Amino acid sequence: MNGTSHPTFFSKIARATRQLLSLGVVVVCLGCAQRPDRADDRLQAQIEAPAAPEVPAAQWRAINRLTYGPTSAVLAQIQSAPSPRQWALDLLATAREAGRQAPRIPAELSSITAPLPDLFEGVRKEREARASVPAGTVINEALPGPKRFDFSQDPDPLFFNRTQLTKSEAWRLAACSSDEIEHPLLARMTEFWFNHFNIFQHKGPVRPFVGHFAVNVVRAHALGRFEDLLLASARHPAMLYYLDQWLSVAPGQTGANRRGLNENYARELMELHTLGVNGGYSQNDVRELARILTGWTVSPRSPDGFQFVQRQHDAGSKTWLGHKLPESAQQAGVAEGEQALRILARHPATARRISQRLAEYFVADAPPAPLVDRLARTFVETGGDLYRVMQTLIASADFWSAEHKLYRTPFDFACGALRTLEAGADRSKWLQAFGYLAVAGQPLQSWQSPDGYTFQASDWLTPESMSRRIDFALNLARNAPERKDLYRFLGGDSLAIVMNQNPPLRMGFLLGSPEFNFK
Amino acid sequence: MAWALQPSRARAADGRPGRLVVVFLRGAYDGLSMLVPHGDPYYTRLRPTIAIGRPDGTLNSALPLDQLFGLHPACSALMPLWQQGVLAAVTCVGSPDDSRSHFDAQYHWETGKPGSSAPSAGWLNVLSGYLGADRPNTLGVGEAGARILNGPQSVQLLAGGLAALHPGWLANTAVREDFMRMYFGDERTVQAISRGASSRMTSAGVLRAAQSAREQSGSLNTAGALQGLALDARNLGLLMDSNRQLRLGFLSAGGWDTHVSQGAATGTLANQLANLAQALLQLRPFLSEPNDLVVVLSEFGRTCAENGTWGTDHGRGNILWLMGNAVRGGQRHGRWSGLSPEVLIEQRDLPVHHDFRALLAQLLVRVLGVTRPQTEILFPGYAWDAALDGILKT
Repeated sequence: MNGTSHPTFFSKIARATRQLLSLGVVVVCLGCAQRPDRADDRLQAQIEAPAAPEVPAAQWRAINRLTYGPTSAVLAQIQSAPSPRQWALDLLATAREAGRQAPRIPAELSSITAPLPDLFEGVRKEREARASVPAGTVINEALPGPKRFDFSQDPDPLFFNRTQLTKSEAWRLAACSSDEIEHPLLARMTEFWFNHFNIFQHKGPVRPFVGHFAVNVVRAHALGRFEDLLLASARHPAMLYYLDQWLSVAPGQTGANRRGLNENYARELMELHTLGVNGGYSQNDVRELARILTGWTVSPRSPDGFQFVQRQHDAGSKTWLGHKLPESAQQAGVAEGEQALRILARHPATARRISQRLAEYFVADAPPAPLVDRLARTFVETGGDLYRVMQTLIASADFWSAEHKLYRTPFDFACGALRTLEAGADRSKWLQAFGYLAVAGQPLQSWQSPDGYTFQASDWLTPESMSRRIDFALNLARNAPERKDLYRFLGGDSLAIVMNQNPPLRMGFLLGSPEFNFK
Repeated sequence: MAWALQPSRARAADGRPGRLVVVFLRGAYDGLSMLVPHGDPYYTRLRPTIAIGRPDGTLNSALPLDQLFGLHPACSALMPLWQQGVLAAVTCVGSPDDSRSHFDAQYHWETGKPGSSAPSAGWLNVLSGYLGADRPNTLGVGEAGARILNGPQSVQLLAGGLAALHPGWLANTAVREDFMRMYFGDERTVQAISRGASSRMTSAGVLRAAQSAREQSGSLNTAGALQGLALDARNLGLLMDSNRQLRLGFLSAGGWDTHVSQGAATGTLANQLANLAQALLQLRPFLSEPNDLVVVLSEFGRTCAENGTWGTDHGRGNILWLMGNAVRGGQRHGRWSGLSPEVLIEQRDLPVHHDFRALLAQLLVRVLGVTRPQTEILFPGYAWDAALDGILKT
């Protein structure tokens, strides 16, 4: 972005205002009276002098960054709030509250959070059912489109894994698109952390656990303490399977299948989940951490799906990140791993990496370094309290600064479109969104490597994706009722072009507008 | 022709720019059913119900290639190519990494870095940068997010199947111009809209024209409607033929993970193989210049023995295919050590005598004009395999 974009931006707003006035739309300047904020004193100290955010622009910004998009309910809420900033901070508080309650998962999707032993049992039954298929029978693995999100039939044991996956996809789409199903900011935080602790749904044994992981690990700790999130992810079958930790045993052990140390999880744990690639660890630290974690594996019978197997644990002494660990006899082995995870969770490099990622996700592709510093400081001072880190972020001037633009990823766009059309519960629309994500290169739960999907504009703003996005927008929104309450947020050029369309196309054009795509 | 004057940093020895199409069979295809080792005494013993019979002149048995090997009868469409010497098989190729996970192995094959799960660009994307061009020189059909195409270079993508014939909303002039006006001043997005629209309109135009020509000539009726991989192959061939900037192509198909009831001369796998053969046949007329190559890859082979459910499980070494005029075709390349238990990996899988990257490096260096140091960047740690020097004529 170069400096010349500012005059354009502001002149667009000015033009928009003129246009709106000429259309007879009343621009209500809520919050212009500068009512006092209700935040607590400490937070008040953090709140910087606002860079005079123009109120509708700030409202639009807050809605599209902290939720996936403007439902009427959310729009009405922010418009009656004392200020966009206060609305945002309140939204954060209610999101934390919502995360402490069980999610409102629609009944027919609820098997994604079934007790883990039941999920293991479903896997076993599918294996049995498949083994007893008569020779020559072809199992139809492809699900016809319209049936994809139809869960009215009892699931066929042959397709247990597939059904679980589809339900998880449905839950994630629904949670991000419907205020009735999920708190809109909690949905965003859940997606951020799902992507940070990315798992890949097509890795065989991961399949039945994806939804369980999203709800019970990611959502449960999305605004809690990072340490709890990290520990929960480390013990969950989805992660244990995805990064092969369940197979990693003490080196030199001889057994029927001659397994040994597998460094996969230990490496990604430091490189991606915590310290970052330049976080100051060596290949030897990777190996030592893998040794520390030997014996961490899945359990089909325990309530949390996890077990520590002492005899697979490498009890020898270790040196890791400068820490000298003595021999870990008996059950001390599991404590050793937990201690290592805590050290990683509290490490300053982790605070920096998480802060950087959050700032990229919520503020700008290249966020200002002082903002990242401030977030990292909050992270360290609060022992990794993600709620407090987000509070610092929302209170910052950078979050509200019009010079920072973010481009919606396909997933962000799909959920934003569903919310704008208030179609978050419409399964035929889910299907369209699902198809769009596949052709746009961001299919749900399907990024293979543990780094998760990128959210940088440079990766998504491509010719191919633009044409797919516009097709999706115009098809999804065809004949959708107009949201006249949103027109005030369009610049004059956009508004004129939207209004110039036949009514059945107007919402599609609104979704394709720069104001909607660059948030 | 104008395209021949386009600058290209990487050229083959004879100066003509080579082209490469990669066909990736996801799920690990059973190479021992396509190139049938009917002369190996262990073959039918290992596969009592799924072996393809010795050539007996019927379509229920393998088509003879030599004393030891035959071709699956569902691939009969490939026999003329074999006989013309433009199709070759390479045996016992695989990854040096011993993972039998589809996910891990595909990642290794697509990044060119066996054993590493670190985030990495796909090798076809990096290669695209070596070939140099001011417009995309790589076309992917079907998948939107294939790792092999992922990376810094911009790549043209085409929807799979009949969707490729739809130019989309931006083909509507009023819609396109209105969107471009909405982004006036944002050059980057305007360019994206304009290029996205023109790429899809051009593709759809080329494909529709070809389709109506086929309909008029009646060939659609005789050949039957193409589907799946074969349809994607034809679409890719047509587009690479019409846009000579395109020098790399990528196609993929799933459905090869045949653990259960894979069939023999007929059945599930036979249908898949017939479609693969059809796909190669569709590519052939569009990729028949001296330096055009098609290579068929898959992440690993399958067990030599059939399992308890009339299928095969994940293995190691596999049989890959090469098509092109530069190929020393009509013969098998690579080491073959037979199917006796003591030579198989863990007494179950074909050994990996050749690193798949060494095979690819041969093609890149000798036909596409890529340098050896470049292949070492693409494929860190691979070693040139002189045993494969004979696969190409040049």
